[in-house]
Amino acid sequence: MAARVLLLITLLFSPPMLLCAIPQQASTTVQQESAVSAVSASSKQAGEQAPAAAKTDDKVQKDAKSPQKIHVRLGTISFGFGYSYFSGPYYYPYRLYGFYPYGLGYPVVFCDPLWCAPASLLSPAYSGSLAYAADKGEVKLTADPKTAEVYIDGAYAGTADHLKTMWLDSGAYDLSVSAKGRKEFRQRIYILSRKSLKILARLEPEKEPDAVGETEVKP
Amino acid sequence: MNREILLGLVLLAVAPLVASGPRGTVPKAAANRYPSHAEKDSVSVGAALLTSDEVRKTFVSEVNRCCVVVEVALYPPKDKPQPVSLDDFAVRVMGSETAVKPSSAKVVAASIQKSAESQRDVTVSPSVGVGHESGTYVDPVTGARTSGHGTYTEVGVAVGIGEPGSHSGSSERDRDTMQTELSEKGLPEGTASAPVAGYLYFPLTKKKNTTLQLECALNGNKVVLTLP
Repeated sequence: MAARVLLLITLLFSPPMLLCAIPQQASTTVQQESAVSAVSASSKQAGEQAPAAAKTDDKVQKDAKSPQKIHVRLGTISFGFGYSYFSGPYYYPYRLYGFYPYGLGYPVVFCDPLWCAPASLLSPAYSGSLAYAADKGEVKLTADPKTAEVYIDGAYAGTADHLKTMWLDSGAYDLSVSAKGRKEFRQRIYILSRKSLKILARLEPEKEPDAVGETEVKP
Repeated sequence: MNREILLGLVLLAVAPLVASGPRGTVPKAAANRYPSHAEKDSVSVGAALLTSDEVRKTFVSEVNRCCVVVEVALYPPKDKPQPVSLDDFAVRVMGSETAVKPSSAKVVAASIQKSAESQRDVTVSPSVGVGHESGTYVDPVTGARTSGHGTYTEVGVAVGIGEPGSHSGSSERDRDTMQTELSEKGLPEGTASAPVAGYLYFPLTKKKNTTLQLECALNGNKVVLTLP
């Protein structure tokens, strides 16, 4: 009984912590990427000052010797709490190891959500061709109205409220979102593996046929 | 009838070329809407240097890793189409003698991919566990029933080291996607009879407190724009 309580407590804590950890990871990665780009930028600046002829040779040598750049990012932080009660005829010392987070909540909480998260915990849209895969990119779609129909490369993908998160293979796609009585939203999107793209599709109401007036030209 | 069929076939043959070609960006209403602009022989040109933040928001590809991005718009006269070529443009650091020509989308994509390939992700994941246990047991030595309890803590750190090339933008497929994006957003080359605009990618890094100048050749005439 106590063990079940322990399991329950751990599992109750696990999904929210997992979900909280996702944006944390994303922001950390972005910051580190900018840091690395700054490093590569400064190395290039140094290269520019060299004479043109020697620059090519230096660059080749630098490429050959350059160590791999390392991105350190903070993964999921997990906490576990547990209580168990034992009652038996004999003392079993190993039992005294008590709570063992790695056996209960650990596999659920500790997984890097970008690599091995259980699909059912992250989003209801993880099914079919829009499901998560390590080499796919993420599209976070927010649409107004939420019941708008989403089309990818002209093919119906579902309604926006069920496609808040989509995972697509790397490539370029034509995304369109449409709803009755609203102007269609169209956007060319480019998806890179392991990268997230946020899209806000706000569909404006269509003008009445009588109310033909000024036409908005977006620069 | 035959003429219509022939026209249809021609359109079918040309359509993929048009669809796959660069599209550029939507030019602003006039060249003077850009921070830098000039006019020569009734051809107007406008240009804007994108900041790193603007580049990050405009492109999915991490163009900041290799290049400076300049948006250029050309406004040819109605009766005189203007040839547009990447070779007509160059960027120079003010006071410097060397100028840099823009790179093609293919070269920029390859450069970004190479940069991404050399990166390796290391994920650090800490964990903390606290547990309490209590109960009774029969002591095997004395035979007496004894109660006991204990509190336990667990602290762990997991370090995951990704394989090289696992970073975004490092795969061949990503390179194709980046090339497509850069090409489609790049300044369209060819002959322009209407205003055209798009991005140019210059393989250099802008230092602080330096000013860049965009040089463009319009019908053989050199125009210099200072990029703020």
